[in-house]
Amino acid sequence: MKKKKKILNLLEPYLWLLPSMLLMAIFILVPIYEVFRISLSKVTKAGVIKGFIGLANFEKVLGGSAFPMVLKNTLVWTVVVVGLSTLIGFILAIVLNNQFRGRKIARAIVVFPWATSLIIQAGVWKFIIDTDYGALNTLLMRLGILEKSANWTPTPGAYFAWECWVGIFVTVPFVMFCVLSGLQSIDNAYYEAATVDGATYWQRLFRITVPLVKPSLTVSTVLNIIYVFNSFPIIWTITKGDPANHTDTLVTYLYKLAFYNGKSGEAAAVSVVGFLILCVCASVYMVISLRKEGGDE
Amino acid sequence: MSRQKEEMVIKKAKTPKQKALKICLYVFVILMALVILYPYLVMFTTALKSRAEIYAAEGTVFPNTWLWSNFTDIWSKAPLLRYFLNSVIVAGGSTLIAILCGIPAAYALARMKFKGQKFFLGLVIVSQMFSPVVLLIGIYRVMLTLHMTDSLLGLIFINAAFNQAFAIWLLRGAFISISPDMEQAARIDGCNKMQAMIKVLLPMAAPGIVTTLIFIFINAWNEYTIALTLISSDLNKPLTVGITIFNGYNMIEWQYLFAASLFATIPVIILFMAIEKHLVSGLASGGVKG
Repeated sequence: MKKKKKILNLLEPYLWLLPSMLLMAIFILVPIYEVFRISLSKVTKAGVIKGFIGLANFEKVLGGSAFPMVLKNTLVWTVVVVGLSTLIGFILAIVLNNQFRGRKIARAIVVFPWATSLIIQAGVWKFIIDTDYGALNTLLMRLGILEKSANWTPTPGAYFAWECWVGIFVTVPFVMFCVLSGLQSIDNAYYEAATVDGATYWQRLFRITVPLVKPSLTVSTVLNIIYVFNSFPIIWTITKGDPANHTDTLVTYLYKLAFYNGKSGEAAAVSVVGFLILCVCASVYMVISLRKEGGDE
Repeated sequence: MSRQKEEMVIKKAKTPKQKALKICLYVFVILMALVILYPYLVMFTTALKSRAEIYAAEGTVFPNTWLWSNFTDIWSKAPLLRYFLNSVIVAGGSTLIAILCGIPAAYALARMKFKGQKFFLGLVIVSQMFSPVVLLIGIYRVMLTLHMTDSLLGLIFINAAFNQAFAIWLLRGAFISISPDMEQAARIDGCNKMQAMIKVLLPMAAPGIVTTLIFIFINAWNEYTIALTLISSDLNKPLTVGITIFNGYNMIEWQYLFAASLFATIPVIILFMAIEKHLVSGLASGGVKG
């Protein structure tokens, strides 16, 4: 009787975790397993798995002519969007942390891009930059800044730059709010002491503010690397990765391989490559957050 | 309390330098607001134009004639109401399942000590690393096996699963910030753990729970990629996929696309503004402090 109770007590926490674990196991872990299995298998166009073929899918994909460009695009996309978003978000947070009239409204406005579905946000920007009837040309012509409509997207690179801009546009709010929450937890006494000691504005910014919001920045940066790396709707809506993979990232590339070209095996191989890149990020993040965990308790 | 801490540099403009700084601040904020609001202005004004006006050689900033009828027309141009309902069902169902699975897990992680706790927490964080897009092929296969392709239930489960990490993270943060004393008092009074959690902890954690609910709801509401892949019949599409019906091959019906987009966006923005403050402090307490 007593022994039974002891075992039950020992098992109890796991019972509480069970529903959550089941949900994640079925809909996240099994797909992970499936992706790995498919990446190592021969798959017919209809999606039937026809046995193990080793790394052939990887060889095909990694050796493909498009892959270096896709990988480069993914890297540029992630670094540019996350980097600039972090910088702009940080600056906005510093500015909006000041006391001024209308601050509440300003903060509410910053929420907009965060709350809007990416597919909708991307759709609007596609309309704005259109050469023939785009809103940006119309606005600039009406304001007298432009004489005739400009071509905002003369090259694939220009398209890609606009896609990065939309990415930044929707990512900045998250950074800003993370930094803002960090700023609000800074004790004002630090600034008072620094002011008494004659520190300039920039000294206070780089010696007090930056180090103290660093944890918030770390969280937002790592999460954003993952979100942006995996972001699909912006590029899909604006260019679908065209022309000829010039604006493809890993996710749009694998989507086309799997659902347009019926090459599930190769698509799964691209998934695994993306997966491994993210694994590196994930382990870095885990190390950082678990170290925090240990230090807190 | 934290309000007082927020005052940094500019409190009351006194010297000319401070006055200049304050003007700079306002200019900056107004510019920022204009840039952020610009796409929404475009969406709104375009939604009110006729197709002829949108594609005309001489473009207009504001509509020549304000076609409010676009906002009513879209409901008959496409099964928009159906899309809307599908979105409500998917977002509502995902939220319900995510929270029902997330609360006990977050409770165990916040209140109990057990072997593998760190491992599980790590797993939660790692699961957040993998967006459904990367796993799409695997997800598709699992859904085929479960006969859940082209079904709202399938979307509900996937959204719930991929929002587990956030749910557990936010809820655990909320639970940790509440002292266990009250629950212990309830236990002494004869409640079991479950009762103590439901009667004492959950009401106290209500703001955190509501924040989590709304956040997951918004995530599921805005989800596009999985729905695009899994849903094949028109009547099962949620709004994000459904509105692309106006995005035809030859001509995009921008006015309808944007009118429908506004219907899909405005409720979410209102919800988001309601939780913005809690969400950020929740992210910080759940994430940074552990």
